[in-house]
Amino acid sequence: MRPVFSQYRNQTKVIQMQLGAAGRCGAERAPCSLSVASAPAVTCLRLPGGLRAGRVRTLRSGSALLSVPKFTDKHEWITTENGIGTVGISNFGQEALGDVVYCSQPEVGTKLNKQDEFGALESVKAAGELYSLSEVTEINEALAENPGLVNKSCYEDGWLIKIALSNPSELDELVSEEAYEKYIKSIE
Amino acid sequence: MRQPAVRLVRLSRIPYTELLALQERWLRRLQAEPSTEALSGTEAGALLLCEPAGPVYTSGLRGGLTPEETARLRALGAEVRTTGRGGLATFHGPGQLLCHPVLDLRRLGLRLRTHVAALEACAVRLCECQGLSGARARPPPYTGVWLGERKVCAIGIRCGRHITSHGLALNCSTDLLWFDHIVPCGLVGTGVTSLSEELQRHVTVDEVIPPFLEAFKETYKCTLISEDSSN
Repeated sequence: MRPVFSQYRNQTKVIQMQLGAAGRCGAERAPCSLSVASAPAVTCLRLPGGLRAGRVRTLRSGSALLSVPKFTDKHEWITTENGIGTVGISNFGQEALGDVVYCSQPEVGTKLNKQDEFGALESVKAAGELYSLSEVTEINEALAENPGLVNKSCYEDGWLIKIALSNPSELDELVSEEAYEKYIKSIE
Repeated sequence: MRQPAVRLVRLSRIPYTELLALQERWLRRLQAEPSTEALSGTEAGALLLCEPAGPVYTSGLRGGLTPEETARLRALGAEVRTTGRGGLATFHGPGQLLCHPVLDLRRLGLRLRTHVAALEACAVRLCECQGLSGARARPPPYTGVWLGERKVCAIGIRCGRHITSHGLALNCSTDLLWFDHIVPCGLVGTGVTSLSEELQRHVTVDEVIPPFLEAFKETYKCTLISEDSSN
């Protein structure tokens, strides 16, 4: 089950989580120091074919570990359901990389320790490492043929791996959406 | 506001493996968490510069050299190494300026792809300083710096935990025949060139280092401090 994201046009991207009582996090794409500050926002929620994910999909509630994404300072997100985590890179992360041309992925069954590198995404001659923990249960095979999904749909179809979380407290160090947005503003 | 500082680590002719080992040491230092062992104040990393002592072919994250090619290249007397950088196969050897900036992108306010663009800009600026006004960067998959249809500077980067490694290779007086044995960067039908070739005179690595360092400071908006100076 994917997290709920919705997006609006222009410079502001609003991420909306529905968890019974709704919470809203405002998010703004911070300008890159080497580019024109008024460059249009690259929204990563475009569906393949250029359609916008304008509708909001409802999350099924009831599971104790619900899909509230948490973020790392390496621009990765994770959502969990029933002990399985789905990992991807954030919109900031995919923009920072540029067009992804290749995704190196681990074998299913690989056991990662905290801070282990599990793969890398290559774009424009730059390979960016990916980090996670726990055992890899599934990899997104669509990325082999279509690595650009990471850019086009970083929170949905461009997910990277799924991991088996042996200990939910492993996610305690990760931060909320809001804290992550503050972090990326601070590193500009 | 004070500009970030980058340590200049200027090595002379050294084997490629030594450069990799030194790069690894800097990577570990910068990636160390928490940052007490890492850098202080405004330091943003290190700029490793050298000229490879011998011929070496390298491949990247996606590969770029088959086992057969590897054997053939070794038989020519070259080393062959795999790396985790982006890009496919390339060559490094005497006469080439090899520059590996090991930088904390956060401290320089850069994204990975803007770091690539900045490296290209440094090489373009350097070519212009040498009197070659036609130097240009090209969009992927032609990342690198070109003079006409020939590449003078190759680029391949790796980034983990915000710290970059690998970098650029600029042909000053490289023996370009070494490139005949591979498809450079996997780009069939393109050529390679060097500053010496373009200027029709012998251009040494030592000659281009000062203007390159000026270009680096301007592009990255940083200062360069010597490796030996204390903080």
